[in-house]
Amino acid sequence: MTAMLTAMPENDATYVVVGGGQAAAWIARTLRAEGFAGRLVLIGEEPHWPYERPALSKEFLRGTGSVEAITLLNATLAEEAGIECWLGQRVTAVDREARVVTTADGRSVAYDTLFLATGGQARRLPGLDAVPAERVHTLRTLTESERLRGALAGAKHLLVLGGGWIGLEVAATARALGVAVTVVEAAPRLCARTMPPVVSDWLHTLHEANGVHVLTGTGVAGVTGTADGVAVTLADGGRLDADHLLLGIGIEPEVGLAAAMGLALDDGIVVDAQGRTSDPRIFAAGDVARHPNAFAGAALRLESWANAQNQAIAAARAALGGTGVYADIPWFWSDQYGVNVQMLGLPGLGTRAVARGTPEAGSGCWLMLDESGIAVGAVAVNAARDLRVLRKLLEDGRAPLPDAWADTATPVQRLPSRPNVGMD
Amino acid sequence: MTEWHDAAATDALSDDEVMGLSIAGVPVALFRQEGAFFALHDLCSHGAARLSDGFVENGCVECPLHQGLVDIRSGAPCSAPITEPVRSYPVRVVGDRVEIALNR
Ligand SMILES: Cc1cc2nc3c(=O)[nH]c(=O)nc-3n(C[C@H](O)[C@H](O)[C@H](O)COP(=O)(O)OP(=O)(O)OC[C@H]3O[C@@H](n4cnc5c(N)ncnc54)[C@H](O)[C@@H]3O)c2cc1C
Ligand code: FES
Repeated sequence: MTAMLTAMPENDATYVVVGGGQAAAWIARTLRAEGFAGRLVLIGEEPHWPYERPALSKEFLRGTGSVEAITLLNATLAEEAGIECWLGQRVTAVDREARVVTTADGRSVAYDTLFLATGGQARRLPGLDAVPAERVHTLRTLTESERLRGALAGAKHLLVLGGGWIGLEVAATARALGVAVTVVEAAPRLCARTMPPVVSDWLHTLHEANGVHVLTGTGVAGVTGTADGVAVTLADGGRLDADHLLLGIGIEPEVGLAAAMGLALDDGIVVDAQGRTSDPRIFAAGDVARHPNAFAGAALRLESWANAQNQAIAAARAALGGTGVYADIPWFWSDQYGVNVQMLGLPGLGTRAVARGTPEAGSGCWLMLDESGIAVGAVAVNAARDLRVLRKLLEDGRAPLPDAWADTATPVQRLPSRPNVGMD
Repeated sequence: MTEWHDAAATDALSDDEVMGLSIAGVPVALFRQEGAFFALHDLCSHGAARLSDGFVENGCVECPLHQGLVDIRSGAPCSAPITEPVRSYPVRVVGDRVEIALNR
């Protein structure tokens, strides 16, 4: 929806976007699509044109994807839209008084409005220095995905540390490539940070059914390099050998620059519902930003494709004087073994699951209710349509009656609903 | 000369509904909007998703995979991440049948 533009900037204004990922690309594209006519500079550290990351653990890792299919901005599009892209350059300093951005190679540009879309970096484990670097992988960038693909091509056994979404997707892709996989997760269950137990259990079963050795509640005491691979010592004294190790233990938001600039931080850059930071000339969006989420009634930092795109679009519009806010209900998807999983809201906060269909058997959707009966989220397994209809209801402040949700005889569009408030 | 293919009965769809068809091997999504029929190529221009599995609202179909919007009447992209149009096919009603032309 095009928000009302009240204060379109002057033609000689310069807008600078720091970060060359998905959010950065959508900020730049949106500024132009909404009529910004000034100078537009995008500065990204990676050598690649901005791209979408989801395929890096899926099609692209498997070898069936392409760079073109995930690219969001290329030389032609940038030229057409008049977006100056400084690729392969890291912004090292921002002077907020003088309003000047400086890069590692000493280039600088003065801004009227600045956007920070610096994303996050894959977490590493301390104490891995003695392990040969070519045996240890993280997966955030295209370069890392290519490197991991090369490693899997010659591997018999991959060890995945971390049973979150990235770890599980890599496990699924590695299995498709015929590589044996062990997943080691310290928490008692998979995806415990975001998912309710019913979903963790289903994921566990899904991966075991596909031949993955899943060890939950298992800590790691140490990692060493061997002549031809890595060896992991488990907290319980056990030992696992593998050709390669993937660390899927989450990301750290890339806030170094924002911290040096003195912007308000709280596990990420604090922004308002329009993406504005504590400095009104500076916006932030994507994995790095913590925004007030209307559905959650709390500040959230989301690490998802939809958030990177839509929060970026909202911030770009706001910077042009738009009055709209970013108010999406959190939404995330994953693909594993040909199964499409979609998550809406905050299903991990639910204590009661009501299934529509049979999600555990590959087709259906869990509606998650909290203790007071409020629908807090849902997880759909090959049931995008159920989730979409549910999203519409939740957006309208309503929720299906739980018994009706379980009744597949009634089409999902016609389910009786009620206001989504506590039942007591 | 336009070659028309029989697609469906006019009462097979209600307003704001969509159905997936295969016409001469071509995947087609057939929509009904305010009593009129429209046909789009049944593949999202952003990825491997069937628009006939999508959600119809306000004259657009929302892709089931990443929620991009496509204008049902024209195939024009209406929201991110879809930026390329989806091919739209001519439709006509003959008696109680809907017909679609694949060549243009
Ligand atoms: C392997 C993988 C699979 C995923 N799969 C899914 C999925 O299936 N579904 C889903 O919803 N989400 C998925 N995600 C999450 C989604 O891709 C991210 O949420 C999204 O990429 C965030 O975009 P961003 O632009 O905020 O950050 P990023 O994509 O991290 O981009 C930030 C960019 O800024 C650059 N940068 C940082 N600091 C500087 C600086 N100082 N100067 C210049 N440049 C800088 C970085 O190099 C980087 O290129 C996946 C992520 C990964 C890694
Ligand atoms: S495949 Fe349709 S929006 Fe991505």
